[in-house]
Amino acid sequence: MKLLVTGATGFLGRHVVAAAVERGHEVRALVRAGTRSLPDGWDGHSAIEVARGDLRNRANLPAVVGGIDCVIHLAASKAGDLYEQLGGTVIATENLLDAMVNLGVNNIVLTSSFAVYEYLHQMAWTRLDEGSALADEPGNRDEYCQTKLFQEQLVREYARANDWRLVVLRPGVVFGRENLWTARLGATIGDRWCIRIGSFAPLPLTYVENCADAVVRGAEYSGNEQELIVNIVDDHLPSQRTYLRSVRHHIGAGLRIVPLPWWIHRAIARLAWVTSEVAFKGRAKVPGVLVPSKIHARCKPRRYDNTRAKSQLGWNPRFTWREGVMRAIDTSTAPDTVPHSVRVTQPKSTMVATT
Amino acid sequence: MANVSITSLCDQSAALARFSAQRFGVGGWHTDLAEMLEACRPDVVHILTPPATHESIARTCMAAGAHVIVEKPVALSNPEFQDTWKCACQHGVRLIENHNYRFNGPVAWLDQTIARGTIGRVEEVEVRMALRIRDGGRYADQNAPHPSHKLPAGVIHEFISHLCYLALQFFPTDPKSIRADWRNLGADKLFKYDDLDALVRFPTGTARLRFTCQHWPDEFSITARGTAGQAYAELFYPTCRLTRRRGGSQHLVPTLNSLSAARASLTSGIGGLWNKIAGRTAYEGLERFLQETYVALANGTEPPVTYSDMDRTSRLIDALLLPENQV
Repeated sequence: MKLLVTGATGFLGRHVVAAAVERGHEVRALVRAGTRSLPDGWDGHSAIEVARGDLRNRANLPAVVGGIDCVIHLAASKAGDLYEQLGGTVIATENLLDAMVNLGVNNIVLTSSFAVYEYLHQMAWTRLDEGSALADEPGNRDEYCQTKLFQEQLVREYARANDWRLVVLRPGVVFGRENLWTARLGATIGDRWCIRIGSFAPLPLTYVENCADAVVRGAEYSGNEQELIVNIVDDHLPSQRTYLRSVRHHIGAGLRIVPLPWWIHRAIARLAWVTSEVAFKGRAKVPGVLVPSKIHARCKPRRYDNTRAKSQLGWNPRFTWREGVMRAIDTSTAPDTVPHSVRVTQPKSTMVATT
Repeated sequence: MANVSITSLCDQSAALARFSAQRFGVGGWHTDLAEMLEACRPDVVHILTPPATHESIARTCMAAGAHVIVEKPVALSNPEFQDTWKCACQHGVRLIENHNYRFNGPVAWLDQTIARGTIGRVEEVEVRMALRIRDGGRYADQNAPHPSHKLPAGVIHEFISHLCYLALQFFPTDPKSIRADWRNLGADKLFKYDDLDALVRFPTGTARLRFTCQHWPDEFSITARGTAGQAYAELFYPTCRLTRRRGGSQHLVPTLNSLSAARASLTSGIGGLWNKIAGRTAYEGLERFLQETYVALANGTEPPVTYSDMDRTSRLIDALLLPENQV
């Protein structure tokens, strides 16, 4: 297959490109015009075509999307205010979808997130799966939740209207070399202190190479479902305490951990919320770590499983979370290196600038 | 606001229009302006689009019989502003530019302080804005350059109206001379200008207009110096500070003024924390501006931002950009 990977030089994107090439696909990697250095092994690789452009600019897109069998849409904004995240996530996706309609591309894999689920109104320790409720008051959650939820809604509407094959992957916490910390552990204060909110809650981790493999399998999906939604988490998930213990020295030298039981923090956040409602008519601006809907989404203990991903995609996490941590901290290897041994046909020439 | 309801939103992006309508609980949304005007027949249209589009959208809305409240600037030059104003007059509707910072608490305090004569006759005003827009965010994005980079003053055109209308309120006459130093101090070509240092001389005093993205912390302040003292107002982190001539022993005046400044700092610190918790931002003046504007529209009286306010602001921006006024 010829795959378009948006967000290709991002944390997950580089591994998705490597996994796609390893599985024998041709890849058109969309990178921003300002990207100076490409990942090792891309330059001159016969299976990788680099397209420079920005999804927020519609003029680029016909050349980027043309001739593609399946779009793997990873690009999204995680930083900035709502305006910036709307541009980088929602408008970018809308432009991409319009280009797919115009060019007759009818197969898309969307990488969504666990951020789209509802947590506040769900019981602790209940199972979170693909049928779980989505965030019912996204306005009370962070910008990332709001934009990812709307992005997913948009893609599903386009897919239904145009009879596309759609695979929505919702990874938990994707971790790897540049990304060992997760807000599901709690909060950091400066470089030295970490308040670990809770101890025993399972972390919905997926090691980046495992997740990338699932994404490529999503593009290969040929099952019966026209719209497939799967959660991506690894097997045998660690608790917050176990994981933090294994990565603390790699997150920050001399990191000091202050454990705070989940029920105490939940009570503090509740008190802050009541104070805001009573004294400020709900308009008080308090830190996210004291907003119940946000802190429940981050630290509430839930249970996760990957049964559907395994059965529908034929996916099995190649690495355990401990192996993932070892690969992430072993700087003598480069897990996102593209294999050169794979032989694929040369991509057809396009209007896209190639390097 | 009582008697005001938002009937529809319009954006070129259907997704963004729909998202915004859902978020703010607005019943309708459109992607075509003419269609929206036809369907909704609004009394008032707020134009919040990029500056280069204000004029044409305003004309379309006014032709449809709607009053227009538009983000600054109404137009990219004074002749274009005049044409737009004529259009408003022809259709019997109001054209109002958003001068929201004039309605912030510290600016009101400054106006009252000067009006009471506390600092004597105002001879110097400095309006200073420091925003680290080069460090990231929408203006520094090289991949999808912000449309404001193409404006006559580049990105500074987004902010220059604020500096101008705030300075002009202290000087009722036209300037005698202008020296404007527009610079691009960054290494890239994305920004046309990222720094402005301008001196505007009026018959009664001098205004210094300063925009920088090199300095820390972010700041938006007005300092008015008069014959009997000086008054300082900060808008991003609301602060009001007065240094004035006092009676009694002149040896004690600096000490008394220092104590007064310490009290102002303490008050603004506590007030700032309170504002943060209460969710009040530097846009506090916007609410006041809109309330007064809607009252004026309902009563058919003069809006709080007048033709003269807009015209003088627009003319000063043009003058700052004239090659003969540049250093």
